[in-house]
Amino acid sequence: MSEYFSNIKAGAVTIATGMGITLKHFFNAIHRKGDAGIDDADYFRQVDGLCTLQYPREAVPTPVNARYRLYNDIEDCIGCGQCERACPIGCIAIETIKVLPEDLAVCGKTSGGQQKKFWVPVFDIDVAKCMTCGICVSVCPTECLVHTPVSDFSEFDRQNMIYHFGNLSRLEAEAKRRKVAEQQAQAAREKQAAAAKAAEEKNGQ
Amino acid sequence: MSIAAISQIRLPFLMGNNLNAWSDALAGLTLSWFPLGLVIIAAIPLVFIALYALTYGVYGERKISAFMQDRLGPMEVGKWGILQTLADILKLLQKEDIVPTSADKFLFVVGPGILFVGSFLAFAVLPFSPAFIGANLNVGLFYAIGIVALEVVGILAAGWGSNNKWSLYGAVRSVAQIVSYEIPAAIALLCGAMMAGTLDMQQINVLQSGPYGFAHFYLFQSPIAWLPFLIYFIASLAETNRAPFDIPEAESELVAGYFTEYSGMKFAVIFLAEYGSMFMVSAIISIVFLGGWNSPLPNLGSVALYDWTSGPVWGAFWIISKGFFFIFVQMWLRWTLPRLRVDQLMYLCWKVLTPFAFISFVLTAIWEIYVP
Amino acid sequence: MAEQGSIRVSRKDDNVVVIEKDLATEEMLLSMGPQHPSTHGVLKLECMTDGEVVTSAEPYLGYLHRCFEKHCEVVDYPGIVPYTDRMDYLTGMNNEWAYCIAVEKLLDIEIPRRVEFIRVMVSELNRIASHLVAIGTYGIDLGAFTPFLFCFRDREHILNLLEWASGARMLYNYVWIGGVAFDIPADFNKRVKEFVDYFRPKVVELYKLLTENEIFVKRTKGIGIMPADVAINYAWSGPMLRGSGVKWDLRRNDPYSVYPELDFNVPVPDGKFSDVGDCLSRHLVRALEMEESLNIIEQCISKMPGSEGFNPRSAVPKRVRPKAGEVYARAENPRGELGFYIQSDGKSTKPLRCKARSSCFVNLSAMKDLSKGQLIPDLVAIIGSIDIVLGEVDR
Repeated sequence: MSEYFSNIKAGAVTIATGMGITLKHFFNAIHRKGDAGIDDADYFRQVDGLCTLQYPREAVPTPVNARYRLYNDIEDCIGCGQCERACPIGCIAIETIKVLPEDLAVCGKTSGGQQKKFWVPVFDIDVAKCMTCGICVSVCPTECLVHTPVSDFSEFDRQNMIYHFGNLSRLEAEAKRRKVAEQQAQAAREKQAAAAKAAEEKNGQ
Repeated sequence: MSIAAISQIRLPFLMGNNLNAWSDALAGLTLSWFPLGLVIIAAIPLVFIALYALTYGVYGERKISAFMQDRLGPMEVGKWGILQTLADILKLLQKEDIVPTSADKFLFVVGPGILFVGSFLAFAVLPFSPAFIGANLNVGLFYAIGIVALEVVGILAAGWGSNNKWSLYGAVRSVAQIVSYEIPAAIALLCGAMMAGTLDMQQINVLQSGPYGFAHFYLFQSPIAWLPFLIYFIASLAETNRAPFDIPEAESELVAGYFTEYSGMKFAVIFLAEYGSMFMVSAIISIVFLGGWNSPLPNLGSVALYDWTSGPVWGAFWIISKGFFFIFVQMWLRWTLPRLRVDQLMYLCWKVLTPFAFISFVLTAIWEIYVP
Repeated sequence: MAEQGSIRVSRKDDNVVVIEKDLATEEMLLSMGPQHPSTHGVLKLECMTDGEVVTSAEPYLGYLHRCFEKHCEVVDYPGIVPYTDRMDYLTGMNNEWAYCIAVEKLLDIEIPRRVEFIRVMVSELNRIASHLVAIGTYGIDLGAFTPFLFCFRDREHILNLLEWASGARMLYNYVWIGGVAFDIPADFNKRVKEFVDYFRPKVVELYKLLTENEIFVKRTKGIGIMPADVAINYAWSGPMLRGSGVKWDLRRNDPYSVYPELDFNVPVPDGKFSDVGDCLSRHLVRALEMEESLNIIEQCISKMPGSEGFNPRSAVPKRVRPKAGEVYARAENPRGELGFYIQSDGKSTKPLRCKARSSCFVNLSAMKDLSKGQLIPDLVAIIGSIDIVLGEVDR
């Protein structure tokens, strides 16, 4: 019997405690938490009251080192393709064209002073596939591929999620490719001619 | 301006007792053979429920729960999200009216109707002010207790008709729960009726009026009255399927209980019925124990607070605000407590509430006989 | 009693419901899930029910299977780390760490001390975050909605902290083989200390609001009791096993990293507030572990070596190509023992075989035993107390 009454008492007391806590929060609803980011020194001094932020208008800023949208600074990209190989899911697609010796000056150098040896007509990142692991960033030799703190980049069309970073237009790329092919053909022809000549000489001996 | 002067400008045409004349005139209004006035009178509580449930019930529940949980709640539709429920209703209206193929079509359709009517019928005997009561029955309290049982039929029809196992569980649980909890609820209300000596709702209110305001309420008239008051409040939570007794719709166990299969307007009707019956039980508890439309403010010498705050419109204000207070407590409980289990619910009903209800019944009887 | 058509339902001492009847009834098949609010994801339980009583329940898995182990065979060693995040997505740091311990064992590399402290700190933060979700969702399972949002409000701070450290909120790829991806930001330790100070009173509030609530206690005490020997036979681990009264914590029993230097208790229920082995004990172990994690974090802050001349990637191998062999390494995850078995052929940069021993899967396997003779609400309470993450069960 005493257990019966102690049960009722425990129920009443704990329910009253719980209701006290919720009522305290209810009356605390006049306060609202601010929108300081975690890198703000006052972050834990503002946490009191309602903590919802109304997203599109108010947002907690992402820290500067946050890894979200991939961005490639194509001016610094040397087209080495390490990111493409390192990506666990293969969301990066790169196509390169060899820079001819006479074009090296036109192609230019990276901001670090490294001579670029490839044109990069296609540098596509499918950010819909990207899982923001950051492995591609860690292998990039010129630090041109970075994750930006932009976290909200939804699109209505999935095609728009494929980001094109290539800095050559299709015509330019075509021209470059033809030029390389021509030169290669030329080189092959010369090689062939040289080989034929050598063979001739050999035969002549 | 003196205080006496304020009491002079109490909106004479609204505050006076001529509201009776109003309703009498309205009742006599007929359009050729059609009793238009009576229909309007009957429609007033309906409009009230709809408005209250839409604007205050659902919106209030969402805001109160949000504030208790450190959230903002609806904020987008209108200032502070005040039109959110309206937007929800518009959405529900546009939805396709789905009746599952394997459902019992008749029961499925009729279930929400019975539920709604069940919660709406009790509004007929609720005195909203000294001048306004839908039907002044001399067994009003008895009628109000009895009519709640009609909801059980609606819930069972909805649950069985859905032909869904979760709905069936919800319906069966709900029936067991409501039928069990009628007993402590009715006995607790009987204590109030015993103190009044009548079952007439209007009369119960009149007996609780007096110049000392809240001191005349039955809750403060006897030292035992808080016990039936608490018992009825707990039992009323169970009768309206509110937390911590919301096991018929326990969303983590039974998905949505007896209304799992409902969508669109049928769902909205069930929702309205729930908020309607929430107000109904809150109104009943405030009528029986807290003086209904009586002002709780006492007359303090020349500061006649009670007199100034009495009258038909003030009465409606008091009963509605008392009702809202209990609805707030219901929501407050809901957002604090976990849910009981079925057998614990029955334990609470039969082994705790019912014995205590009988004890309070006997004690109230003794008090009424031996204490003048 | 024996009149025609009577049913008698009673509860035995260990809370198993027994039905005696002389009435022809049929059992009803009730499919709970894969879309059900309380199965915590896409778990399906096929229950045979007699009224509200579940006579048997069979879990069906595989709705979230993503071929983790097959993936590992085609991705090189560092590339697997982000996939481990996605196993138990609530405790990414702990998963990564367990995997890295395995590969580091295979490669036999020395880890810088500061890296070890950083790893302990972030994974203990993540443990708190994971337990907050477990406790909050358990409240929802039992109908208490408010503790859930309080838990998520506090978890938000942990996610912000981890985002600051690693750059991502849930799927970190922070713990790398041989190091961590970045050093922690300059003010990180100060902010973590502030978080600890902020969080301590919140734990007490949560305790008062949920754990001590009489309805909550009544719903969980004595429900789903798992005796210690059966729990060991089922290979339970983590809070589940400790809930059954076995003091088994890999941080103490098979110490790794700097845990031997840190002072913390392994909470085990004493049977006063709860019955040992029931749902309440398991909940209690999680609640107490959060406080222990706070202690560990505080010690990490004070003991962590300074960042002068520190390179978080100094021990990170350029190319991971372990010599031929196999290794099994395990770590204490918030849900139990997470083990990785890795086989290397010595030639490739990809593992020949990578098997994950996931704690949720093992813990869930006892469901059939636990659910016999329970009411449907109790079944929900039991599933909640197991605290499954379907991402780890199915992988």
